[in-house]
Order: sequence, then structure tokens, then C-alpha cells
Amino acid sequence: MKGTLKLISIFGGLVLWHILATRIINDTALLVSPLVVVVKGYEMLFVTAELYPHLYASSWIFLNGMLLATLVGVPLGFLMALSPVVRDYVNPWMTALYTTPRIAFAPVLLLWFGIDIASKIIIVFLGCVFPILINSFYGMRVVSREFVEVGRSFRLSRGALFLKILLPASVPFILAGLRLAVGRGLTGVAIAEWFGATEGLGYMIFFAGQTLNIPILFVGVAVFAILGILGFQILKIIEELATPWRKGFEVK
Amino acid sequence: MAGPALELRNLTKEIPTGNQQPFVIFKNISLTVRDGEFVSIVGPSGCGKTTLLRVINGLLPPSSGQIFIDGKEQTGADNELVMGFVFQGASLLPWRTSLKNVLLGLEGRKQPREAEEIARFYLNLVGLSGFENHYPHQLSGGMQQRVNLARALVVDPRILLMDEPFAALDAQTRTFMQLELLRIWSQTKKTVIFITHMISEAILLSDRVIVFSHRPGRIRSEFTVPLARPRNIDIKSDHRFVELENVVWKQIEEEVKAAREGSPI
Repeated sequence: MKGTLKLISIFGGLVLWHILATRIINDTALLVSPLVVVVKGYEMLFVTAELYPHLYASSWIFLNGMLLATLVGVPLGFLMALSPVVRDYVNPWMTALYTTPRIAFAPVLLLWFGIDIASKIIIVFLGCVFPILINSFYGMRVVSREFVEVGRSFRLSRGALFLKILLPASVPFILAGLRLAVGRGLTGVAIAEWFGATEGLGYMIFFAGQTLNIPILFVGVAVFAILGILGFQILKIIEELATPWRKGFEVK
Repeated sequence: MAGPALELRNLTKEIPTGNQQPFVIFKNISLTVRDGEFVSIVGPSGCGKTTLLRVINGLLPPSSGQIFIDGKEQTGADNELVMGFVFQGASLLPWRTSLKNVLLGLEGRKQPREAEEIARFYLNLVGLSGFENHYPHQLSGGMQQRVNLARALVVDPRILLMDEPFAALDAQTRTFMQLELLRIWSQTKKTVIFITHMISEAILLSDRVIVFSHRPGRIRSEFTVPLARPRNIDIKSDHRFVELENVVWKQIEEEVKAAREGSPI
């Protein structure tokens, strides 16, 4: 039933889009039917194969940025939760960086790190790191007092308390942070490739926009959407594998 | 043994409140518990009985006074596990199965194979063999408290501290768990301090019932339960049981009234 509703919703949306494009706007310089996008996508994947370099470039930047953000965000979040000193040092910077639009950093990062991959990864990293950091911090801060007391009543060492109580209790929060980071990371990819790139989905969309190639533009947008959904689904699988004990908590 | 199983000497817990008088939670608690004795503490809500248990367990430091186990003073810095704590409610680690929850206290203290053998023995003792691989959310409230009990017993503690372990259970399950605890206790012969606000539960289980005053908590009185063991549900209609329940209830009622003096209920 749930699956059927989803299919109806997707199909209905596409039909509306088709009608809007072919009957109402009826100008291929502004909007094309999803059918045209599908045909163009098929062509770019299986005929000209021109999509792959863009797809690889963007995915590579995205994965590196996410990985870096996880490697930095999770431990830093933990440190902030466990040490008031670290918290006080990091907090003002975190707030400032988190609330500043990332696009404002893009030109200066390009200036510093050049137009190759490093600056792009950093832009993606800046997008991903905050949700991961904040969730890791929060997850460890809100570990139920009762669980900590259980650990203490069993005289666990500080290390064991971290590994056996605090860390497992935080895992669901970290995974939620990673899920939030997917969307922000993909935005980062688009922003990074907007400036001084020669390949990538962001560049492809930007270039298609400049040359009024609406079908390619929409293929780029669709691929971004698919990547986002894919990232979400992969994280969902990871979540199910990592926290099998949470099944009972989920509200149906 | 060098002394009684557990001895509390003038134990006091206060919370500093800055400029004013400290907030006294309980004051000058002295109590001696002999080996294998089952002692319950009852008292009005907020009388500090749960805090007392946490101080005994070393989760909170006392403001003054001393705690001795077998004549050895407990400082809280000790890494040795001499006390088992059964918590009130959802204290099982949700990411661990029953077996892994029970194993918590043995990890790093025993060889894994030996530890698992002991854990399985205690799960069996509390009547949960076959549920080793269930997660807490897959167990009923009563079963969760059985795991909780097994987790505390598995380290073979000198003293078992129980903080209203059945408070969250429905009345039927609660009665059943009380009888189960009588059975398990008769098999392990642990020295137990049991906190409850249910007088009949205290009498049914205990050798001795301690009545706490309202805050700041002091020992108001204590009663030796004159009922032979092994006990079963029938003793609840024994006239000695009923009389004792009435006497204890009157005292608690007085404490509740004294605590609420001048303020509406």
C-alpha cells in the first residue's frame, strides 16, 4: 500500500510535469517534458557516454568531502561533548562557520587551493562537516544518565565507558548527521563545480544553462536527485546493519 | 569476616545551595546489615531512600560518614566490584542482547568463555534461558527486570542493591516478580538492600523493614518481619503480616502529613 502510494505520487508528478511542459508552457527553451530528459539521459549514458566523466568527477569530490567531514566531524563532536574546554574553543567558530553561506567561501578557497580537486573537496567538506559534528556532539551529550550510571555502577574504566556506553548510544545520532550531510554535500558539489571547473555535474548544469541546453540541464538535475536518493538509501542500509536494536523503536 | 556484611556509619548527604543552608537529603544514617540478610527501606516519596542507595553504591559521594563492607571502608575509588545494582527502569543497554547486557560486568574481569558460561547460568536462574539473543525492546517489562537482576548478580556481588526494581511493572507482574525474587534470593543467599514504596512488597521479601522519615531522611523505626521462610503469597493474609503492614502504613502516613504540613496535597 505504502509502495503503491509512492508510485502513484511519482508517476502523477511526472505526468503533471509533462502536461506543464507540452501543453501549458510549450517552449523547449524554458522547460522540456520528462520524456525528453529520459531520452537525453539514455543518450548521454549509452550512446555518447558523455555523462560518465561528469558523474565520476562529482562522485569523487562528494565521497572525499563526506569522508573527510566524517573523519573530522565525529571525533571533534565527541571531544566537544566530553570536554568543556574544547567546547568553549570550538563553539564560536562553529557557529560562525555554520551560519555563513558556503558559497561565500568558494571564491577565496579557489584562490587559495587552485581550481583543482582540493578546493572542491574543501567546499563539500564545509557543507558536510557541521551536521555530522553537531549530531555527534549532541548524541554524546544526551546519552541517558541512566546508561552512564549503569557503566559507573559496574566500575567501567573511562575507556570502557566510552566504548561500551557512550559510543554505541551515539551511533544513531551520527548516522542521522550523515544523512543530513548527504544533501548538503551534494549542494557543495554543485557550488564547487560552478566556479572554475571543467567537468562535473555542477559544471555540466552551469554550462547547459549558459548555452540554453535545457535537456542536458535537466539530466544534470535529475542525476543529482538520484545521487541524493542513493546516498540516503545506502545510509539507511548501513543504519539497519549498525543498529539492529533500533528496529523496535521506529514508529511505524 | 572482619565485620558485618554492610555497615553504614552516620551517613549524611547534603547538596550545597550557595549562600543558604545546604539542602539535606538524609542525615546520620547508621545501619548494620548481617550476611545474607534481606533489608527493605520504605518511606514517603522524596525521603532520600534512592539517593542513599546511590551513595552506598558509590555513584554519589557522601557528605560525611562511612560505608564498610566486611569491615573494609569503601572509598568509591575502588575498582573492585563488591556491589550489584538493580536499577528502577529502562536501564538495559538497548544495543546489547540479554546475554551481552548480563556480560557487561564480567567483560575484562573474566575470560570470555568463562564469562559467557556464568552469564548463561544467571539468565537461566532468572528464568530467561532461550532469550539470550533478544534485544531489550523484544522483552516484556518483567523480563527486562529479570535481565537487570541477572546483570547485577553475575558479578557475584557481596551486596545487592535494588532500587524499586518492580515499580514500573503492572500489579500482576509485580506480584509474580516478587515471588520470583524470593526464589532467586533463596538460591543465591545474597545480602540485599531493597528500596520500595510498597509496604506489602517490603514485608513479603524482607527479614527487616526500615522506615524512613520525610526529608531530611532519617531512620524512623525498624521492624523484624516475624514470618518464617520459605514464604509464598499466602502469608499476605497472615494476621502478623496484616498487622505489620498497618503499623508501617500509619508511620508513613504520619511522615507524609508532616512533610506536607501547611501545604495542600
